[in-house]
Amino acid sequence: MSEPTRDSSGPGTELPTLVQNQPRERWARVLAAPGSLQGYIGLALVVIAGIATKGTTFLDQGNLTNAVGAFASRGILAIGQTLVILAAGIDLSVGSMLALASMASAMMLARADMPPLLILPLCMVVGAAMGFVNGAGTTWLRIQPFVMTLATLSIFRGIDRHISDNVSVGTEIVTESGELSPHSEQFQLFGTPGRNLFEGVLGAGVYYPVLAFVVVAIVFHLVLTKTRFGRHIYAVGGNETAARLSGVNVAAVRIAVFTLCGMLAGFAGPIDAAYSSQADPQAGQMYELDAIAACVIGGAALQGGRGSMVGTFVGALILTLLDNVLGLNAVSDNMQLIIKGCIVVVAVVLQRPDLISSAVATVRRLVRPAS
Amino acid sequence: MFATKRRLSVAALAVVAGLVTATACASTDEPTGQKETDKDEFVVGYSQSNNAEPYRAQLNIQLEYFVKKYPKLKLMPITDAQQDSGKQVSQVQNFITNNVDVLIVSPNESAPLTPVVDKACEKKIPVIILDRSVNTDCYSSFIGGDNVEAGRKAGELAAKELPDGGNVVVLQGILSNQPQIDRLKGFEEGIKSNPKIKILKKREAKWLKPDATRITSQWLSQKLDIDLVYAENDPMALGAYQAAAAAGKEKDIKFIGTDGLAIPDGGIRAVQQGKLTGTFIYPTGAEEAAKAANDLAAGKTVEKKQVLPIDAVTSDNAAELYKKYDFSGRS
Repeated sequence: MSEPTRDSSGPGTELPTLVQNQPRERWARVLAAPGSLQGYIGLALVVIAGIATKGTTFLDQGNLTNAVGAFASRGILAIGQTLVILAAGIDLSVGSMLALASMASAMMLARADMPPLLILPLCMVVGAAMGFVNGAGTTWLRIQPFVMTLATLSIFRGIDRHISDNVSVGTEIVTESGELSPHSEQFQLFGTPGRNLFEGVLGAGVYYPVLAFVVVAIVFHLVLTKTRFGRHIYAVGGNETAARLSGVNVAAVRIAVFTLCGMLAGFAGPIDAAYSSQADPQAGQMYELDAIAACVIGGAALQGGRGSMVGTFVGALILTLLDNVLGLNAVSDNMQLIIKGCIVVVAVVLQRPDLISSAVATVRRLVRPAS
Repeated sequence: MFATKRRLSVAALAVVAGLVTATACASTDEPTGQKETDKDEFVVGYSQSNNAEPYRAQLNIQLEYFVKKYPKLKLMPITDAQQDSGKQVSQVQNFITNNVDVLIVSPNESAPLTPVVDKACEKKIPVIILDRSVNTDCYSSFIGGDNVEAGRKAGELAAKELPDGGNVVVLQGILSNQPQIDRLKGFEEGIKSNPKIKILKKREAKWLKPDATRITSQWLSQKLDIDLVYAENDPMALGAYQAAAAAGKEKDIKFIGTDGLAIPDGGIRAVQQGKLTGTFIYPTGAEEAAKAANDLAAGKTVEKKQVLPIDAVTSDNAAELYKKYDFSGRS
């Protein structure tokens, strides 16, 4: 296997996989791979805050399932976003791609009565096609990812609004007898709170968005850590030139991460449509920011090459549980915005050991003359 | 050099625009007055604040339908300001430049649109203000519903549905929106007749269904004893219903919405299906606006302020009202 040569100028650009054959470091590697320690500390703090203020209400399975389920589509977007960010890109269009996929899914269901098991892969293809456009624009036309996806954010939203004629499309199709049509019934399984899978096996069961989010996270964690493609993503994000010189097809990796990101947005679309039992032309606005925030809180560096899927998963969990804890405590939306923003800043600062040590040094310098 | 070129091209554009306008509305030297009645065609411009809301999409459909009832009226393509007041001002300005015969505006916000409405008025273009107000008197007619009244009727229905009192929660639209403020004010007045009713919680769900689902499931997690949910629009009411259904409590709680759109996932259908106890048709005013546009173009005066009645939708009249307001098959 060709191990890409890596530039080690930035902190943490070494691949976890580089430290192999050293059993004593294995645990350190396992802990490091899932992202930063502060992610777990942050998660623990949020959980403690939840238990301290709302106790059993917070820990109730129904509450946790609802909380994670409401965030799951954004969590899935964050997973795709992580791939792009690791390759030193950014995708601002994920919210629009989700909206377009959700609209497409609802229209396939409502207008064509297609079976959901066909709708889901079709939406993933639609999403992948949109992601490919982003990838092709950034790679072949050499448009900066920020600008390219800013443009497609607008284009995909426009298509979404155009095909729907600005009218939301319901996914609860009622037959003459007043019951949900069979396809609609199945479709609603994708996202409606209270419709659980594995009921009886896992207590009250979990519902599909939660399951989908977890499974997608595991799959892409394995892709990143166990496959050559995963290492190539880190290589391209860490040092593009070095990656190219060591034989990585940088263009293919770039296009692939955007395509996968789009595919995941296409996967999240029907989930989002089922959750609100309608595809809203306005759906998914600002989701891109939540997705990016989850990556950043989870330790991904926007300059690329650093971060992990588990980190993003933890980051998304922090955001969703924080949302829940603040909601249960009836903290106003305005305060929630302030708190979430502060947490992003704290998370980024904590990932900069150099910043912290220089701050400590400054404090020392200030203290020393006095003593 | 560059600047001169640009100035030249701007001038050229202005000339072209002027020519187009002149040909489009020949003989507009006297913009209003009886003399216009002999014109064959009256151009109507409509500036919508945001197409991407089901209510406003419905308004557009209805306006296009009703304008066709008046053969002399010609509706220009409806402009969509996409919730951006700046964009709306420039779109209205374009209509004024094009010398439309009648201008209809649904302001995104009152203050930013006021100067441009004044400008239209100066140019003697009759202006119809649809749905939301502006801070000037210089317009021909205001047409819209009364949000305080819509809220009050919902409050009265809540008071009637809970004769022995009970706990009410309120899902609010965007807190700074005037319809939100008015509907809440009206609702609080409406439930006063029954002092045993208590508002337990109020929260902003931004007019959105997913937000309402999330907030309601949090309330239910907290084991709040909720008897009735008042949502300031139907999507939020249906979101709350969905959360309650997930917790198996949809039969113990009553849901009241507002908007009453005759679309498949709108409030009227939801009342028919028994999901909502009731909703209130907040009128779009499209029919009245088309009539007023025709009258104004013909040089007649119209009532300065038309406040439209709010129809209550109950399980008794839902089917009939759906038929009345369903525009999906009409053209």
